[in-house]
Amino acid sequence: MQLIESLLVQLLTRFVSPDTLNAALTDPRTVAVIVGVLVATSSALLGGFMLLRKMALTTDAISHTILLGIVSSFLFMAFVLGIAPDLASPWLIIGAALAGVATVVLTEAIQRSGLVKGDAALGLAFPLLFAIGVLLVARFTSQIHLDADSVLVGEIGLAWTNTNSYCLENCDSITITPEDPRAETARVCTNCQTESISPRSPNAVFEMTCANCGTYTAAEAWRARLIAEPPQLVYLPKAISTMGVITLINLLFVLLFYKELKLATFDRALALSLGFRPGWLHYTLMILVSVTAVGAFDAVGSILVVAFFVIPAAAAYLLTDRLWVMLLIAPAIGAVGAYTGYDLARGSLFGIVQMNDVLAFLDRTIGLGGYIQWDSSISAAMVLTTFTLFVIVWVVAPQRGLISTLLRRRWQREQFAAQVLLGHLHNHMGANERHEREVSTLHEHLRWTPRRVFWTLTRLRASDLVDVEDGLARLTERGRASLIEFREQNLATP
Amino acid sequence: MSDQVSGVRYQPEPRTKASSIITRYSFLSREWLRIAALAVVFLLLIPLSALAFGVEWTHTLRTVALGGGILGLVTGALGSFAVLRQEGLLGDALSHAALPGIAIAFLISGRELTALLIGAGIAGWLGVLLVRAIVSTTRIKQDAAMAIVLSSFFAFGLALLAYIQGRDDASQAGLKSFIFGQAAAIVERDVWTIGLVGGAALLLMLVFWKEFKLITFDMAFARANGIPTRTLDLILSTLIVVAIVLGLQLAGVILMVGLLIAPAVAARQWTRKLEQMVVLAAIFGAASGASGAVVSAIDAGMPTGPLIIVAAVLIAFLSLAFAPERGIVWSQLKQRADRRAFAAQTMMRDLYRHCCSHDNMSQPTDEAMLVKLRGAAARAGLRDLAREGLAVMEAGTTQWRLTPDGVLAAAQIADNGTRQTREIRPVVITTVEA
Repeated sequence: MQLIESLLVQLLTRFVSPDTLNAALTDPRTVAVIVGVLVATSSALLGGFMLLRKMALTTDAISHTILLGIVSSFLFMAFVLGIAPDLASPWLIIGAALAGVATVVLTEAIQRSGLVKGDAALGLAFPLLFAIGVLLVARFTSQIHLDADSVLVGEIGLAWTNTNSYCLENCDSITITPEDPRAETARVCTNCQTESISPRSPNAVFEMTCANCGTYTAAEAWRARLIAEPPQLVYLPKAISTMGVITLINLLFVLLFYKELKLATFDRALALSLGFRPGWLHYTLMILVSVTAVGAFDAVGSILVVAFFVIPAAAAYLLTDRLWVMLLIAPAIGAVGAYTGYDLARGSLFGIVQMNDVLAFLDRTIGLGGYIQWDSSISAAMVLTTFTLFVIVWVVAPQRGLISTLLRRRWQREQFAAQVLLGHLHNHMGANERHEREVSTLHEHLRWTPRRVFWTLTRLRASDLVDVEDGLARLTERGRASLIEFREQNLATP
Repeated sequence: MSDQVSGVRYQPEPRTKASSIITRYSFLSREWLRIAALAVVFLLLIPLSALAFGVEWTHTLRTVALGGGILGLVTGALGSFAVLRQEGLLGDALSHAALPGIAIAFLISGRELTALLIGAGIAGWLGVLLVRAIVSTTRIKQDAAMAIVLSSFFAFGLALLAYIQGRDDASQAGLKSFIFGQAAAIVERDVWTIGLVGGAALLLMLVFWKEFKLITFDMAFARANGIPTRTLDLILSTLIVVAIVLGLQLAGVILMVGLLIAPAVAARQWTRKLEQMVVLAAIFGAASGASGAVVSAIDAGMPTGPLIIVAAVLIAFLSLAFAPERGIVWSQLKQRADRRAFAAQTMMRDLYRHCCSHDNMSQPTDEAMLVKLRGAAARAGLRDLAREGLAVMEAGTTQWRLTPDGVLAAAQIADNGTRQTREIRPVVITTVEA
C-alpha cells in the first residue's frame, strides 16, 4: 500500500510541481471528484457483470451488509487488538469480505433448503445482517466513530482532510543526541528531593536529561523548528489511494479473467463442462464487490453504493450488445455522473439548471417558507446525476431507447396495416365484390376506425401501391407486385 | 379430428361423519389448534421481552407496543400475498422510494403524519411504476430496475432531507427517524391512524379474499375466466403499499422489507393453506413488531426498525428450522430414518438372496462381507433387523441369517423388487360424446 502510494506520488510529481499537486489535493472539490470518479469506475466495472448475472439486488444486499463487517472489525480492533479503528486497516477489508461472502452464502443456503421461493431468501438474509450492523453502530457509536449519517451518505466532502503525507525534498529524518547543539539539555539532581539535601551538597547525584532528544521525521523536525528548510511534502488523501488500488485490482481482475467471466456469465453450464470453475469466479466476484463497497463506504456510505454499481451498467446495457464495449461505457457514464454530481450538490445540474432558481420558483408557486438555499450531500447528488444520465440514455438510446422503440413499434403497426389493406383489396378483386372496395365502407369490412383506414390509404396512395377511382380502391401493378413479394417472403408454406 | 371431448373427473371420496364435522367447524381441526398454540407461544414474546430487558410497562410503552403490534399484524397478513407472488423485494424498492415523498409532503404541509404517509404512498407508487416501466420498455430485468429505482429515489430523498435540515425549522427534527424508524416518535394519535388505516386495508383484503387468492396462485386461470386481474392486481399492490407506508415511522424505509417478508416466510413453513398462512403471518408480525418496539424503548438511541427486523427474522429462522414436515431439522430426521429403513431392507434382501442362492434357508452370511458390499450402513441395518426379530447373529461368530419371520418378509420384498409391481390407483375416466 505504502509502496504503491509513494510510486503514485513520484509519478505525479514528474508531471506537476509539488505545489500545484498540493493545491489540488487540498481542494475539497478536486478530491471529492477524484474519489467519486474512482468509486464510480471501480464499481461500474464489476456492476456490468453483476447486472448480466441478474445479481443487481445481491449487490444491494452486499453493500448493506458490509456495514456489519465494518462494525464487527472495528469492535474487534477496539476491544481485542486494542488499536484505534481506522477505515484504511486491512482488518476492515477482511471483515467486509467475510460479511459479503456471508450474505451470499446465507442467501444461497436458504435458497437451497427449498423452503423459500424466489427473492425472499435475499429479503431474509440482508435485513437481518444490516439490522445487526445498525444496532451495533447505535450501541457503540462512541467507540467506533461511526454514526448513522456516515452510514447513509458517507463523507466524500471531507475526504481531503484525511491524508498521508509524502516527502520529496529535505526528507532526512534527524536524530538529536545530547551532544547535538540543538539538544535542550539540563542537569537534574536525582536524589535531592528524596533525601532533602541541597543540590550543592556533596552527596547530591546529578544526571543529564535531554528534553527533545530522539528521532524526528522531516515534517516533525520542521514543526519543532529543528531544521531551517521546510521539507517538501505532498498530502495524498487516503481515500484516493484506497480507491485507486481497488480500481486497479478490479481492472486487473476483469482484464485477466475477461474470457472466463464472459463464459461463466453467459453460459455457466458450458463453463462447467469445459473445466472452468465458475463457482470460484462467483465468490471472487462477490469478494471484490464487498471490498469495493468497503472502499466506497467512507466516501458514499453503505446504501448509495449500489447506485454506482448498477445504474451506469444498466445505461451501458441499453447502448450496446458487446460486453467489452459495455465495460468501457459503464465506467465512463459513472465517472461523468460523479463529476457532475459534485456540481449538483453545490446547486448546478450539468451547468444548465440552477437549483436555487428551481427552489425560488417553487417558493413562489407552492411556498417553501422563503428558504431557497440548495444544499445536498455530495454522494446523493452524484447518484442523482448518474440517474439523470440513465434516464437520458433510456429515452434517446439508438435501437433500445424509448423514442426509437416507440418509432419502431409505430412503423411495424403501419406496415402491418398496409399489408392487411393490400391483402383485403387483393382478395376482393372480383367485379361483383365492388362493395368490398368502397373507400367509404372499408372500415366496416376491416373493423378499423375510419381514421386508420384514411391514414393507411393515404400512405399507400403516396407510395403508389393503391389508387382510388370513383370512391373505389384498387391495387396498382406495383401494389400487386409488392403484395406477392411479401406473401412469398413471409407467408410461404414449407 | 374426432368430435369427442374427453375429460377426467375425479370422484370425490365419500365423506365420513367425523370428517364432515371437522370441515364444518374448521377452527376445531388439528391445524387450527396448532396455530392457536403457536399464537400463544409467540405472542408471549412481547411480555417476555419486556421482562428480559427490564423495561417498565408504562403508558408510552403500551402505546408503542400497540403501534408495533398492529403494524406487524397488517404487514404480516399482506406480506403473505407479496411473498407468495414472489414480489417481496418489490417492497424494498417501494419503501426506499417513499423517502422523497415524505420529504416533499413535509415541505408542503408540515409535520402531519397523515400527509407524510400520503406523500410516502404516492412516491412509493411512482417508484413501482417506474420499475414496471423500465422492465416493460427495455431489456433491463426486474432486479436491476429495482436497484436503479430504489437507490436513485433514496438519493433524492436524502438530498431533500439535507435541504430541509438546512432550513431554520425546528419541526424537521423527527424526519430523519423515518430512515431507521423510531418508536419514541410515536404518539397515541399515530397509533389510531395506523389502526384505522391498517384495519381498513385488512377489511379490503377480506372483501377481495377469493379474488386475491385466485390471482396469487393462478393468474392465467383468473384472466381466462374474465376476472379483472389488472384491477385486482392494482388493489392488492395498493394494499401492500399502504402496509409498507404505515410501517415507515416505526421500522424505517431501509428495513421495512424485512417485516413484509420474514413473517410470511415463517408462516409458510407451518401450513399449506392460505388462510392459515395469513393468520399466522399476522401473528408473527404482531409479535415481532411489538417486542421490537418494546425493547427499543430501553434506550432512546436504539433505532426500532432493526430490532423489529431482528425479531422477525429470528422467528423466520426458527420456523425454517423446526416447523413440522417442512423444517430443516424435521426433514433431516426424516432422511436419516429413511436411510436406516432402506439399509435394513437392503440387508434383508441380501441375506435372503444369499441363502436362496445356496438353497439353504439357514445359510448364514458374514457381516464383514455385507459391510464390504454395502458400506458402513450395513451394520446399523443388521442391528435394526435383529431388534425387529427378522435376523439373528449366530452365537460366537459374525455370521447372520434370517429368522423364519425374516424369510417371509424378505420374500415379499424380493417379489416386489423383481416384478416391479407398483400400486395402481384407479382413475375414473368418463367420455362425453359430443
